[in-house]
Amino acid sequence: MLRLATATILLICLGTGARAQSIEEKAEVCGACHGENGIPLEKDIPIIWGQHAGYAYLQLRDFNKGVRHSPRMSPIAEALSKDDMTALAEYFEKKQWPKLPQPAAGGTDAATANRVNASIGCTGCHLDQYRGDGSIPRICDQSHDYLLKTMLDFRTRKRANNPGMSDLMNAASEDELKAMAAYLAGL
Amino acid sequence: MPGRMKLGLLLGTALTTIGFTTAAPAQEVKQDSKMSVRAAGVTNVTQQLLDNAAKDSNNFLHTNGNYAQTRFYPNKQINTSNVAKLHPAWIFQTEVKESMETSPIVVNGTMFATTSYSHVYAIDAKTGAELWHFKPKLGAITTYCCGPNNRGVAVADDKVFVATLDAKLVALDAKTGNVVWEQKLADPEDGYSETMAPTVVKGKVLIGTNGGEYGIRGFVRAYNAADGKLLWNFDTIPENSVGVWAARDATGRDMHRDIDAEKAQLAKIGDPYKRLGGGVWQNPAVDLATNRIYFVVGNPSPDLDGSLRPGDNLYTDSLVSLDLDTGKYVCHLQYIAHDVWDLDAVSPVVLVDVADKSGNTIPGVIHAGKTGHIYVHDRKDCSLIRFSDAMVAQENMWTLPTKEGARMLPGANGGVEWSPIATNPQAHMAYAINLHQPMTYQVESSPYPGGKLWLGGAFKVIPTEESFGNVTAVDYNTGKIKWQVKTPEPMIGGILATDGGLVFTGEGNGLFKAYDANDGKVLWQFQAGAGVNAPPSSYTVDGKQYIVVGAGGNTQIDFKRGNNIIAFTVD
Repeated sequence: MLRLATATILLICLGTGARAQSIEEKAEVCGACHGENGIPLEKDIPIIWGQHAGYAYLQLRDFNKGVRHSPRMSPIAEALSKDDMTALAEYFEKKQWPKLPQPAAGGTDAATANRVNASIGCTGCHLDQYRGDGSIPRICDQSHDYLLKTMLDFRTRKRANNPGMSDLMNAASEDELKAMAAYLAGL
Repeated sequence: MPGRMKLGLLLGTALTTIGFTTAAPAQEVKQDSKMSVRAAGVTNVTQQLLDNAAKDSNNFLHTNGNYAQTRFYPNKQINTSNVAKLHPAWIFQTEVKESMETSPIVVNGTMFATTSYSHVYAIDAKTGAELWHFKPKLGAITTYCCGPNNRGVAVADDKVFVATLDAKLVALDAKTGNVVWEQKLADPEDGYSETMAPTVVKGKVLIGTNGGEYGIRGFVRAYNAADGKLLWNFDTIPENSVGVWAARDATGRDMHRDIDAEKAQLAKIGDPYKRLGGGVWQNPAVDLATNRIYFVVGNPSPDLDGSLRPGDNLYTDSLVSLDLDTGKYVCHLQYIAHDVWDLDAVSPVVLVDVADKSGNTIPGVIHAGKTGHIYVHDRKDCSLIRFSDAMVAQENMWTLPTKEGARMLPGANGGVEWSPIATNPQAHMAYAINLHQPMTYQVESSPYPGGKLWLGGAFKVIPTEESFGNVTAVDYNTGKIKWQVKTPEPMIGGILATDGGLVFTGEGNGLFKAYDANDGKVLWQFQAGAGVNAPPSSYTVDGKQYIVVGAGGNTQIDFKRGNNIIAFTVD
C-alpha cells in the first residue's frame, strides 16, 4: 500500500513537473518510519503523532540546518522549506498520540524518577505529567528505547542540538536516566 | 539498510531534484477565541485614578497596588479582630489547570485575571460570574523558562493590556475582550517570551522581556497605549557591557573573579553584549514626581558559565532608572557583577521614603534580592544606603560553580524569587516571602545554541537536605528582621499588606494565611486545594471588602496545580 502511494507521488512529480502537494501527501514520507497509524515501525523511532508543533518544527529545522544529525532524517529534512516544516509539524500535532504497549514503571524506578525530577526540575520545562507544550516535547508515553537513547545521546553530546539538555542529562547518572526512561514510557 | 529507509532516502532525493513546491496550504485560520457572556460594565480607568491608587480602598488598579508598588491596601474593614471569620465569597474555576501567578486587577466591581498560556478573564468581582474570556492563539514556538505563566494585566482608559507567551503585546477592549491592537515584541525562536504584567502610565505601555536562559539581549520598551506603536526602547545590555571590573558584590563580598582571565577573553572575543541576557520580567515602579521609572534586570546568559562573557555584564543583576518620557538612562547600581549563580534581581522594586545614612528621610527605592537581602537605595542616584540582614541562610557565598557541582546557599531561586514584597510605608516595614533550597551549582561551557536553553551547566536541588520557606518582616530603615515565620515549603508567589494590620500570603501546600503584621502570628488560614503561589489582591464592592488570590500551583517548584481564583469576605 505504502509503495503504491509513494510510487504515485513520484510519478506525479516526475510526470507533471512541480505540482503542489497536499499536506497528507507530503506527510506520507513520514509514515514510512513513524507509522501510517502513528505507531513507529521500530523501537528507536519516536512517536510524532500528537507531538507539539513548535518542538517538531524545531527538530525538522535542526535536521535541515545540520545542527542535529540522523542518516534517516537529515536527507528528508534538507529537502523541506520552512513552510513545509511548519505545515508538517502542525499536521502531526493534530493527530492522536498512540498508546504503545509499555507497562507502568515499578516502584523503584518511579521513586528514582521523582527524585531526579525534584533535583533537576524536568517538569519545570516538560510541565505537569511531562506533557510538554509549544517548543517543549511531550515525553510521557513516548517509546522507551527512543527516550533512553535520546537522554544518553544528550548526555554524551552525540545529540548536540540542545546543550542545555546535555548539561541537565549530565546532572544525573546513567542508572537514574534508565529509571527515568522506564517511568516516562509507562506514563 | 532496510527497504523502508531506502524509500525515504529516495523520496528525499527525488523531492530535491524535482523542485518540490509548496501549494498555498489550506490552513486553519488562526484566531484568538473569545467568549462573551455579557459586556462588562467597566469604568473608564483615568490617569487620575491610576495616580491615586495608593489611597483607593475600592479598586485594585495595578499589579502591585500602585505605581510605587507598595502592595499596601488602604482598607481597614478586614482587620486583625475579624479576619478569623474570613470565608470564600466565591470560587471561580478557569479553563487552565496550570501554574497561576496572576495579580487580579479590580475596576469598580469588574475583575481581570490571567492564567497560564496568557488567557484573560473578566469576572464579576461580587458574584464570581464570568463576563468574558480571551484566549490567545499562541504561535507554535513558545520559548520560556519556569512555566507558561502570566502575572496579570494592566488597565487604562477603556483597555486591558496583556503580554503573551509568544512575545506579543495585546490591547483588549475592557468591556468585551475583543482585540483592539496586537504588537509583536520579538521572535520566540530567538528565546523571547512574556510572562510579566505590563505597566501603563500616561499613554505608555511599559514592558520588558523574558529570556535570560536563552541568550537574548534584554529590553524595556514603551508602546503607545492607543495604537501599539513603539515609543522608545532601552537595551538592558549596553554595547559596552564591561563596566568597572568589580571584584566585590554590592554588599562587599569577594566574588572570586579571575579578572585577568576575563580581560584576556575580552581581547579575544570582544564585548559579549549581543547575547548577554538581562531580561526584565517584573513591573517597573513609576515615580510620578520626577517622571522616572525604576526596575531591576535579570541574569546574564549563560547563567552559570562566565567564561563566555567577560566583564561586569552590565546591566544584569542591577537596579536601573530611566526617564519615563524618553527611556534614557538615569542611574544604576549593580548588585552582582559577572553573576555565575543566576542570583538575578527580579522581585519588583518599591518606591518608599527611607532613612538615609544620617537618619534623614529621603525618597528611596527598595528591592528584595535572591541573595536574601533587602537593598535600600537613594532614589536620586540609585546609590546603596544599606542592605538588611539576610532573610535566609547564606553559606559559601561566593563559591564558584564547578563541573562536579559546588554547594552554596542561597540556591538559584533565592532568597526572594520573582515574588513581589509588600510594605507598610508608615511603619517602614517590608514583608517578603523566601526560599531556602540548598543546591549545587554545576558549570559546563557550551557555545550559543540559537534560541535554545543556555544555562552553561545545571542547578541541582540537593534532595537529602531540607527545603523550606520563610515569611519575613524587615524594618528597612534599620535593616533588622522584626519577625520571621518558617513555612514547610519554599515560598513563591507574593504577599499583600493591608491597613487592617494584616499580611496575606499563600503556600505550595495550598494554605492561604493571614498573619498579624506586627508579630507574624497566624490569625487565619484556608486550604485552597492547590498551591497558592500568586500575589493576593483586595477590593471593595457595595461597601464590602474582599481578599482575592489565585490558587493554581507553580511549575518552577512543582506545587500542586489547580485552576481556582478565590475571593474571601468576612460574614
